[in-house]
Amino acid sequence: MSNRILEVEDLSVEFSTYGGDVKAVRGVSFGVTRGETLAIVGESGCGKSVTVQAIMGIIPMPPGRITGGSAKLDGNELLGLSAKEANQFRGIQIGMIFQDPMTSLNPTMRIGDQIAETLVVHRHKTYAEASRQAIDLLEKTHIPEAAKRVKQYPFEFSGGMLQRAMIAQSLACNPSILIADEPTTALDVTIQAQILELMCELQRTENMSIILITHDLAVVARMANEVAVMYAGQIVESGSVEDIFYESSHPYTLGLKSAMPSNTGDRDKKLTPIIGSPPDLFPPPQGCGYFARCPYAMRMCEDRQPVNFSVQGSEDHYARCWLQHEAAPAVAEVSQNSQDQSHAG
Amino acid sequence: MLAYTLKRLLAGAITVWFIATATFIAMHQVPGDPLMNDKAVSAEIRKNLEQKYGLDKSATEQYFIFMGNMLRGDFGISFTQQNRRVNDIIRDHFPVSATLGLLAIFFAATGGVLWGALTAIYRNRMPDIIIMFLVILGISVPSFVFAALGQLLLVNINSMLGQSLIPVAGWGTFAHMLMPSLVLGLGTMAFLTRLMRSSMLEVVNEDYIKTARAKGLSPVRIFFRHQLRNAILPVITVLGPQIAAITTGGFVVELVFAIPGLGRYFVQAVQQLDYTVIMGTTVFYGAFLVFMVILVDIIYGFVDPRVRLE
Repeated sequence: MSNRILEVEDLSVEFSTYGGDVKAVRGVSFGVTRGETLAIVGESGCGKSVTVQAIMGIIPMPPGRITGGSAKLDGNELLGLSAKEANQFRGIQIGMIFQDPMTSLNPTMRIGDQIAETLVVHRHKTYAEASRQAIDLLEKTHIPEAAKRVKQYPFEFSGGMLQRAMIAQSLACNPSILIADEPTTALDVTIQAQILELMCELQRTENMSIILITHDLAVVARMANEVAVMYAGQIVESGSVEDIFYESSHPYTLGLKSAMPSNTGDRDKKLTPIIGSPPDLFPPPQGCGYFARCPYAMRMCEDRQPVNFSVQGSEDHYARCWLQHEAAPAVAEVSQNSQDQSHAG
Repeated sequence: MLAYTLKRLLAGAITVWFIATATFIAMHQVPGDPLMNDKAVSAEIRKNLEQKYGLDKSATEQYFIFMGNMLRGDFGISFTQQNRRVNDIIRDHFPVSATLGLLAIFFAATGGVLWGALTAIYRNRMPDIIIMFLVILGISVPSFVFAALGQLLLVNINSMLGQSLIPVAGWGTFAHMLMPSLVLGLGTMAFLTRLMRSSMLEVVNEDYIKTARAKGLSPVRIFFRHQLRNAILPVITVLGPQIAAITTGGFVVELVFAIPGLGRYFVQAVQQLDYTVIMGTTVFYGAFLVFMVILVDIIYGFVDPRVRLE
């Protein structure tokens, strides 16, 4: 068995609109290690959610279209499957939770029934058996009085409780991967911490991998083993969590870091936002997507797509930035001096 | 739940009282009176008649007499149909209108949900385009046109078969009810189809449908268990007023198909200023409408758990 449970190669997704095709995801590659957490970071609209929804096969098609690449779960291709084939892994091997728990559960169906449904469909249990198991699952996610709670409807739950119920539902068939698409964005801060703690705990007890999508670097630092920073439909930097935080090699990663509040530094210091907004993706920019906002932009960045450089010869730390080229000028803040371009593309 | 129902019924009673009062005032504002249509009568006979029907009393007095009788469940005697009690008119003819109306609403609701769901599935493709075109016809063509076309269709079918399989007009058997209730429900069916279609398209984009797909449920299961029930809620909301509108608004269809419903008496009474029949039918229809709306609200509470009947 390979160490990587999920391997995504060169995934591209487009959306047809009246104005033309939007290239939302442009050749994304990453791997998920067994039992570990991969965080995908980036601002709104950079293609994080589309990437994982494409893997799950839940992009609305049309207008969506997967134009290339592959996603292999334990060696089995996930892309381009029929609904019937895809349902052999959805909810069984990969569970998924969403950003807004308030709207992610069916409002007219009891919580217990929604959890039980997964078991009835995939494990061929009777509703009575599945309902009993739903209570266990809710208890596993620390929902008090689970036996009473399963009979309630989503509107009777708080936001944090609903996200716990969503997690319980996604765990029903013991998936090996949990995809969490901004699971704490819609929750307030104390509840956020509880949900993240719960996810860490379940990762240990259930021995599953997590793909965590977030725009919150604090969450990344806390949860992730590996990080992929996404911008304008591409992964611009990827590596271990230490690489990303201490050896940041892409100006966008630096920008995200300096936009993050710190509780150790000078409290009166103003945060530095990244000026501007992400580029329009139809047509996608000719050169680097970050060119217009990058403080270190060079002339070539405008019209030449940067390749993926290995940072300092590392085997798992890559940055898609011309500053990593040997001929690039030195920039104090950026971790540079890459030697080869072993992962050109 | 019980307290809620009682509260709604009480509010409904106030509504009915308001309808009765407003109708009474409006009716007395119309020039003329129920005796005007009669052949020229001498002043003395007229005075006797007025005395008999209580028309010599002041409007206020008449109002209180009427209200008192109404509370006792007595709507009085018709002016134009000698010695026929309004209660009897309602009792004899309302069941006919109600049967026709309920069958029509059944056609309208099942058809509306079915066609609406179908158009949503085939959005912007041929079945959707065809059905939505028919829907526009159904909404814009008046019911008497459909009534006549329906009769023509029946005539052709019957002559083709050489026997009267489905009667073209009249009332009595279930076969009599089919065509008129279909025609009567057509407009509502078209309206509900549009409502159901937009509601389905809205629900498709809800997050919980995405969740259901990520759970690995089959498209059929998602459609029936997650989409349909949520999409049907707005349809149920409008069903109450629609039931009342169909049951009371079947006058034209009743006329074309020669059905002895209440609608005809309602219209005739207004034309002839038959005070007691106007009041009786209006109050009765008003009460029926109010009751249906309450009934639908209570049913809604069962379908949508978020609605609390308190």
